[in-house]
Amino acid sequence: MLWAYLHCYQLTLDTYTPLQQGGSADEPTVVYHENSNSVVQMNAAAKQHGIELGFGLAQTAALCPQAHIIKYDKDVEKQALLSLAHQLYPLASDIVINTEHSLAIRLDNLLQYYGGYDVLWNTLTHEINQQGIHYHYATAWGIEAARVLAKSQINQMLRERTAITKCLAHCKLSYTDLDSKALNALEKVGITSIGQLLTMPVHELGRRFTNDTIRYLTALRGETFPTRTLFRPSSTFKQHTVLPFEVENSQHLLPYMGKLLDTLSHYLRARNLTTSSLCFEIQLREAEQQVMPVSAATPFTCATAWLDLVSLKVERLVLQQPAIALTLLCEDFEPIEKDTNDLFSDRFTHLAQKQLIGRLKAKLGEQSTQLPALGNSHIFEKMTVYQAQGNGQSYGFDAAPTFLLDHPKPLSVASRVCFGPLRLQTGWWEENTQKQDYFIAQTPQGVRLLVFKDTESKWWVQGVYS
Amino acid sequence: MKDSLSLFNNHPNIWRAREQPANTSRFALGIHTLDEALHGGIPSAGVVSIACTTGIGEVSLFQQVISQQRKHKLRVFINPPAHVCAPWLTTQGIDISQVLIITPDNDADALWAAEQCLKSAACHCVLLWSKTMAAKTARRLQVAATHNDALCLLFSLASKKPSSLPVSLELSLKAHEANLTVDILKQRQGWPVHNLSVPFSWTPDNHAIQWAIKNNKRKVHSLHSVS
Repeated sequence: MLWAYLHCYQLTLDTYTPLQQGGSADEPTVVYHENSNSVVQMNAAAKQHGIELGFGLAQTAALCPQAHIIKYDKDVEKQALLSLAHQLYPLASDIVINTEHSLAIRLDNLLQYYGGYDVLWNTLTHEINQQGIHYHYATAWGIEAARVLAKSQINQMLRERTAITKCLAHCKLSYTDLDSKALNALEKVGITSIGQLLTMPVHELGRRFTNDTIRYLTALRGETFPTRTLFRPSSTFKQHTVLPFEVENSQHLLPYMGKLLDTLSHYLRARNLTTSSLCFEIQLREAEQQVMPVSAATPFTCATAWLDLVSLKVERLVLQQPAIALTLLCEDFEPIEKDTNDLFSDRFTHLAQKQLIGRLKAKLGEQSTQLPALGNSHIFEKMTVYQAQGNGQSYGFDAAPTFLLDHPKPLSVASRVCFGPLRLQTGWWEENTQKQDYFIAQTPQGVRLLVFKDTESKWWVQGVYS
Repeated sequence: MKDSLSLFNNHPNIWRAREQPANTSRFALGIHTLDEALHGGIPSAGVVSIACTTGIGEVSLFQQVISQQRKHKLRVFINPPAHVCAPWLTTQGIDISQVLIITPDNDADALWAAEQCLKSAACHCVLLWSKTMAAKTARRLQVAATHNDALCLLFSLASKKPSSLPVSLELSLKAHEANLTVDILKQRQGWPVHNLSVPFSWTPDNHAIQWAIKNNKRKVHSLHSVS
């Protein structure tokens, strides 16, 4: 067995940096852990100001008053690590989330797919580097041993057992997961390095230490392999991102939404899925979160197609309060249909149509873009409906005008009847009885109108024939 | 002198009146005299500007083009003067599932929508009603339409002053009794034609009844005729 262990030592910082706007990337930034009052992560600019890990807030502020301070949040780190695991999952099957900032990947069972450790390792590191995540790594026969090596920042791809043993022997005991009590006990018996531990026979250890310690030590030595829960990607998509500043203009949300959509498209592509609806939750500073559902007429996978729609939707979005965080949720998936990639031209047109309708609806609003259908009525006003009725009958009508006015207008010009009468008497089974005689009349300008005479013999214009 | 002229002589986009109209793809309107004047019909891609009063059959004139061509693509009505009546669409032979009606709040949105539709490659034709049309926006629509092989019928109110939009075809329509008077104000690769009068009927009329009244005079049959 060969496991790689990745210790992502500045996950919070790495998730923030790419989100920052162009010029401010050089801004000194530190991640501050409130409970321990210490700086836990920092960027190169902060280091130049003389800040070191473990400094308190006061010390940091004194050295660099303009430092950007991010609060350390365990959940944010965990989310970032999970998303990294999601990205890696298509490349590696056995991933173990070890702590909130480190994961282990089993390499030996992947060898037959990649043809060599170098290829495999390059593929994995390329993916991690693309995410902009900094890490220390090491490989060993088991997760425990690899963890110790990664903590001591070996940053080497070791394959030979002897080489691993050699490196491990030089590591400090404090890098192991043994608690202080066990470490004290080891010190008492004169064991100060891992090298000594590795050579010691098990029955010797058994006399002095608890079962948990023994279990850990045998795992470290690669003699036993404790069972681990492997990472399984979730069946729905949820990604959270904290905004680096409070966003008041909804347009400024777009880059962050774009990044989330990118992750989503990655997620969907890997699973051969598409989606036609997703939902952005915008967490506000002092109010309930704002929800922005986006739906498309046809399922998409591609992030740019989604971003087009989202940006149109965002144009109309008004933030009630400054936004502090964004969550992208996506729960309804559809499998990619085989015929989506059909080469028939009308298939493409169909897709283009759906995209067009989605785009128009996003920009102009649902009410402005409508697909007409025939209504189940003989009344002119109800002949056109904008939502197709399920199984109702629909009627065509030869004398229907091109355009129907909102409300009938009194006929005010002299005109000549050229068609009619056409009596419409309907609704008598309901309360609204209608009885009207319709005509087509032509004005001196040659305009043809749909006119009717009501029961009081008044003339009204209801439509135009174009 | 000769050299400076050769630039124009060799330019493919300059049409000389002595040449025959180039063989561009055209859609016939189904009205013989009009099609002849237009050298086979309206161009299959580009903007056709139509100046007329609403209600003289200006849309029905293009019935054959709208309903018969590129049947799998959308027909989009943007900013129509009033509600488009669905039964009218079916009477015209238009597949109603391929119709999209867009009613934007303002003219700018209407132009945006028209351009999106033309560019989408999903539309057969866009029928746009616009009050204001600058040369620049007309040019944008013309380019979007020709590049994506789509047709844009641009309806505007008749105005006295001659416009010169950079479009494929400019028509002006007037109704006159039972005829429609068409002025071809500008057509690419052809001369303008004025006062072309075509018989045109776009609504049901009472001719059948009148004919019946005239021709089916009731004959009085007497049972016992005495000759």
